[in-house]
Amino acid sequence: MREELQGRAHEAVALALGLGASGARAHASRSRALETVVRDGVLEKAQESTSRSLSLRVWIGRRCSGHSTNDLRPEALRPFVEEAVAITKALEEDPFQDLPDPALYQGRPEVDLELADGTVMDNAAAAREAWGIAASEAAHADPRVISASTFVSQSHDIGALVASNGLSGHWEGTSLWGGAEVTVRDEGDARPEAGFYGGGTHKDRLPDAAAAGREALARALERLGTGKGPTLKTTMIVDPRVSAQIVRRLLGAANAGSISQGRSFYAGKLGQRMFAPSFTLLDDPLVRRGDGSRTFDSEGIAARPLPIVEEGVLRNVFVDTYYGRKAGLAPTTGSSSNLIVKPGTRSRDALVQAAPKAVLVTGWLGGNSDATTGDFSLGIRGHIVENGVVGPPVGEMNCTGNLVELFANLMEVGNDPWPYGSARVPTLVFDGVQFSGA
Amino acid sequence: MTLERRDVLRGALGGAAWATLGGNLGACGPTTLASAIPSDPFKAWFGIDRAVVDRVLAALGSHGADAGDLYFQHTRTRSVSLEDGIVHAASTHVDAGVGLRVVVGEQTGYAFTEDLSEVAMIAAAKTAASIARGQAIVPPVSATPTAYGGYYAIDVPWSQVGIDLKLPLLRTLDAKVRALDPSVTKVSVSWVDSEEKVLVATLGGAMVVDERPMSRLAATVTMVRNGVTQSNRGDFAGRRSLSWYTDAILDELAAKAVDRTAILFDARRPPAGEMPVVLAAGASGILLHEAIGHGMEADFNRKNISIYADMLGKKVAPDFVTIVDDATREHERGALNVDDEGTPGQRTVLVENGVLASYLHDAISAKHYGIASTGSGRRESFRHIVLPRMRCTTMENGPHTREEIIASVDRGIIAETFTNGQVQIGAGDFTFYIKNGWMIEGGKVTYPIKDVNIIGNGPEALRNVMMAADDSKLDSGGWTCGKDGQSVPVSQGLPTVLVSKLTVGGVDA
Repeated sequence: MREELQGRAHEAVALALGLGASGARAHASRSRALETVVRDGVLEKAQESTSRSLSLRVWIGRRCSGHSTNDLRPEALRPFVEEAVAITKALEEDPFQDLPDPALYQGRPEVDLELADGTVMDNAAAAREAWGIAASEAAHADPRVISASTFVSQSHDIGALVASNGLSGHWEGTSLWGGAEVTVRDEGDARPEAGFYGGGTHKDRLPDAAAAGREALARALERLGTGKGPTLKTTMIVDPRVSAQIVRRLLGAANAGSISQGRSFYAGKLGQRMFAPSFTLLDDPLVRRGDGSRTFDSEGIAARPLPIVEEGVLRNVFVDTYYGRKAGLAPTTGSSSNLIVKPGTRSRDALVQAAPKAVLVTGWLGGNSDATTGDFSLGIRGHIVENGVVGPPVGEMNCTGNLVELFANLMEVGNDPWPYGSARVPTLVFDGVQFSGA
Repeated sequence: MTLERRDVLRGALGGAAWATLGGNLGACGPTTLASAIPSDPFKAWFGIDRAVVDRVLAALGSHGADAGDLYFQHTRTRSVSLEDGIVHAASTHVDAGVGLRVVVGEQTGYAFTEDLSEVAMIAAAKTAASIARGQAIVPPVSATPTAYGGYYAIDVPWSQVGIDLKLPLLRTLDAKVRALDPSVTKVSVSWVDSEEKVLVATLGGAMVVDERPMSRLAATVTMVRNGVTQSNRGDFAGRRSLSWYTDAILDELAAKAVDRTAILFDARRPPAGEMPVVLAAGASGILLHEAIGHGMEADFNRKNISIYADMLGKKVAPDFVTIVDDATREHERGALNVDDEGTPGQRTVLVENGVLASYLHDAISAKHYGIASTGSGRRESFRHIVLPRMRCTTMENGPHTREEIIASVDRGIIAETFTNGQVQIGAGDFTFYIKNGWMIEGGKVTYPIKDVNIIGNGPEALRNVMMAADDSKLDSGGWTCGKDGQSVPVSQGLPTVLVSKLTVGGVDA
């Protein structure tokens, strides 16, 4: 399969060059995915699929365009490449367009990141269904449960990346995830819902079915009797299960594209202290078995750990080749891999116990932020904490402020990074956050 | 990698809708679109013999089924964008395949293949059929392909429009934006068009075709004044052709993008807490989408997990509130001639004079409730199963005026433009994010506001609708609705409406 994909990518690049392109990069990939959904103990959906894709980026001097197709019949390749070249010719010169400097392809890590587990796709339909039934049963362990839906999905992905200036690489990965969602009956018409999902690149990362069902149920029951919280300004403790979302939001403008277009509060801040000294953030593509791990990025740039923030000081932003040239920044990589926030020493529970007054955030609901100014306003749900004790659930609240100020007021980081997904972010404690409620 | 039920709507700052809307064509019976639809669309669009399709259908029904279908789809998307005065990116994307579905009760077997060879389709059909355990059914020999609606016929198909015809549009818009205000420092203009061909063949013998055009033009603007930088954007989107994007449209879009950015220099955060919220006519339909629309999707109700599950026939809003979800709004983004199960596009009244009238149904939920589908079965692509979804969601005109409504508010806000929203189906909590708006004090508009999240509870917000004006309109922005990981285009609209209290994400009390 790998040879076939590499051959296809090489062929597309060669054809583009033959048709007059001065440079080309092709990515050929294949994904096999299986999913089983069980609701209330009964199989609800069984899905199987195989997807293929060929994408091609063509340069003619400083003209460039990108094209993709899933029509991989041999006779379709030539018309596809011909159209790509023709469209590129119709564009105008853009002085910043070019393939990456081939020097950036060098230094690809030699270590085996172990991103593919050969046993993941052996997980049979019956095993997925059995996991779902067990999770569903555990999730139903309370008479107030209305419905519990569970899923197991698994995939195997493989791809090859080839560029005309000396790049040839391939990658392969597997993924196996399971989860449960539970809806419970509350007073009145309300039916609070909550979920739990876990998994990773290897089969042993799939959570225990009963534990996943129990956790989803516990989270749903936690929402029973949710009241509307007050309007107040106080400490915000963000639970590790949702803390990665606020870190990703912070990074939304941390790229050369936004900076070059004057739409980033990071503009002109490299090397400066922007955030609290407790905040250190690394983008690490080399985590063994990591969900976001890779040996090269989508442009072929060799992967290396990239410090984003060190003790509150902005060290790097995400810079791809095009916007690096435009913004006058050296390319790093265009996108994040695994985001690692340096942990502190205390657990969420210890941080809660130490708080005289706080809002413990266990979920976000909608909201947005302005990449140019950093202003944000987000819906939240969680609990009021008084004298170190977690109170009843509150919802229908917003928190509002500015992302730079928020992370400048990051008081403490927990020692409990969430174990699933491509971000390792612990409990985060922010001081002086504005909440709006009743 | 989640199965989140918290459904999201994202858009590109709608608002200020002005586009002329086509009326309800009424009839949703078969119409002849001989010029558009080939006599053998299998051969013409997908290169497949009809006999092969009949054999794939037979394989699909080999273990029995309550329902089943083949969903053939071919989509060609092209984009081009301009930044710093240069056309800096262009792309094409071709995506084709068939989704194969077998439904038994509330169970679905699903497979898709991008390889349209008989061998690959038969294999996928067997995979989908493996969920069934019954006797083989013999599908009737498929009928003549039928087209419905005609809500978005366009003069020139997008496949026949070269990039050379789109570039002047981008350059003109860029120039118009820059000419409007000397503090404009950066302009990004983006264009996307797509042409989608769909063919549904069911085990029941129905065969339905549709061609779905879509286009969107957006401008993002950065302005600098006195060392302060602000940015914002505006767009127009719909099932429209190139000829719709006239010079007047470009003027409108340029003004929209610049005005929304310039006002941010003067805008502040409103106070925090509960207060009256006036929803401006147009994009404020996001309220309906989040507060009631998702909760009315019948899959959530048949599973009993929506907050609206026990409310059918009950009074949920004042008499003057009538809410519809309408597939027949001509050339709008959410218009649908026929849904993705072959049911003709139609107008569905969700709330009639304050009473909950109907959910939004696909075939599975319609069977569960023993009624007809409302033509709301949609899917993102052939890779996805069908779910009940919204189309163009609006509230009809009310008895008040915008002026009356604003004058009635002592201390509150006006919500004007939006970026996104979200809802929890069971709890009923919903949010939407206001990018631009206004503060009202003593019945008068006093200062512009920005970046405010609003949170409320669906049924409570509907009960708290105090007034609705006579200026209902559909927003013309490019809204996309997400549910269970599937994105579909939608439209939304509203007259000016007063909700007596929602929680405003402001600063200080």
